[in-house]
Amino acid sequence: MTPPIGSQLVDLGSALLLLTCFGIVAQRRLSACVDLFALQSIFLALTATLVALLTGIHHIYIAAALTIVIKAIVIPRILKKVIERLNVSRELVMNINVPASLLICGVLVMVAFLITQPIIPFGHLLTRDSLAIALAIVLIGFFTMIARQKAVTQMIAFLVMENGLFLGATAATYGMPLIVELGVFFDVLVAALIAGIYTNRLQDAFDSVDTAHLSELKE
Amino acid sequence: MLDAFILIAIQTVVLLASAPLIVGLIRKVKARLQCRRGASVFQPYADLTKLFQKQPVVSSTTSWIFTATPYILFASTLAAGLLVPVFISRTPLNFAGNIIALVYLLALGTFFLMLAGLDAGSTFGGMGSSREAIVASMTEPAMMLSVFAIALTAGSTNLSTIVHKTALLEGIVTDPSPHLMAFAALVIVAIAETGRVPVDNPATHLELTMIHEAMILEYSGRYLALVEWAAGLKLLVFLTLIANVSAPWGIATNMEPAALGIGLAAYLVKISGLAVLIGILESMFAKLRLFRVTDLLGTAFILALLGLVFFYVRRG
Repeated sequence: MTPPIGSQLVDLGSALLLLTCFGIVAQRRLSACVDLFALQSIFLALTATLVALLTGIHHIYIAAALTIVIKAIVIPRILKKVIERLNVSRELVMNINVPASLLICGVLVMVAFLITQPIIPFGHLLTRDSLAIALAIVLIGFFTMIARQKAVTQMIAFLVMENGLFLGATAATYGMPLIVELGVFFDVLVAALIAGIYTNRLQDAFDSVDTAHLSELKE
Repeated sequence: MLDAFILIAIQTVVLLASAPLIVGLIRKVKARLQCRRGASVFQPYADLTKLFQKQPVVSSTTSWIFTATPYILFASTLAAGLLVPVFISRTPLNFAGNIIALVYLLALGTFFLMLAGLDAGSTFGGMGSSREAIVASMTEPAMMLSVFAIALTAGSTNLSTIVHKTALLEGIVTDPSPHLMAFAALVIVAIAETGRVPVDNPATHLELTMIHEAMILEYSGRYLALVEWAAGLKLLVFLTLIANVSAPWGIATNMEPAALGIGLAAYLVKISGLAVLIGILESMFAKLRLFRVTDLLGTAFILALLGLVFFYVRRG
């Protein structure tokens, strides 16, 4: 009846990922959001390492190491620099306030579980529940991008979505081929760099990092 | 039968004796983190002794509620503590009540404390009571849901059964994710209920920040000692609940003296660890504005709800 301890540990890792997602949604301070994202990436790397250890697929180790280096160290540094330069420390204007966001995220998690319900019995036993959590994380990331106006938070939300996708790939197929993962990591890094520069330009042009300004027409 | 009485006596003594120690330990950790030396860990014992020796001053406008409250608060908190497995997984009093009784015994104490805050008719007391009412009304659903999530995974609302099954890894039919969500919710609830930093600041007497302190401003002498002791006890009960429900390992599962000794040692290590953790958390966070507390407790509620949902979705 009880699943083996390895599977339980992988589930625990995925649940920790989901927990940090809620932390990001509930948090107003941008630097704390970045810290939570770094923490989430560390949990992701731990989960991936655990999967690699239990399945004996070696290239997941490389992906986990890259996760630590890029998502837990490099990207948070870039984001911290951006925040420092922009001099914005708080998300003050929100499209949807925190309690409502949390409720919506709760509903999104339930939706993710209901969607994956029919697929779960066909999956591998080891990571069967991580798939649902991965989908939930992607949905929450997507929602956060819509609900927040500051470019920095939207960038963090994008990176959270990427974390969810990585967890999903690990859960569904025990990781993508290494070359694909390397490509994805490079893309994410470049995306974070570009978004950082773009945020700075946004600040210069509008004196604010509110992305709502981008829809205004200007000569 | 005699065994049961001895166990109850030991548990009472352990709870009463370690409650001030935990308070002192948290203060010490905070002081060290602020680069102060801080008072001794045993300072709360000295404070309590001093307060018990002093003559209480009671306002002439108060009713019987004011003088009865410290005793009711102390007794109900201690009763709640006796329902929680502390160092042996099968408490002798487990027939007397389950996890729901525990929640409401703690709520009874809070209720009388709120009444006492209003009773003296001072502005501060009423303000503290109304704030406490806000916090209490929001923690209760979160606490009930997280408790239900834990109870469902063990298939029982009896705390002894839950802890016993988890300690022996038998009959736990679920995965860790509901437990983790419920655990996170319970930690937030514990912080809010015991008046620790992001919600209330136990170290100040500032009008803007205090919740718990405002309610007990009118108390002095032995009444104040009882209220303070009960507050420490409540914190200890929550820490015990968190430690033993989520990580009961090391707790005695039989009546062997050796197992009891290990259980007691493991218990002291676990609660000291949690106390240090609370000290660190309090140093890391600033107190939230009163109207931001809803965000924090909303998070607790959603997490507890998710714990529950995980369980049902998982079952199919």
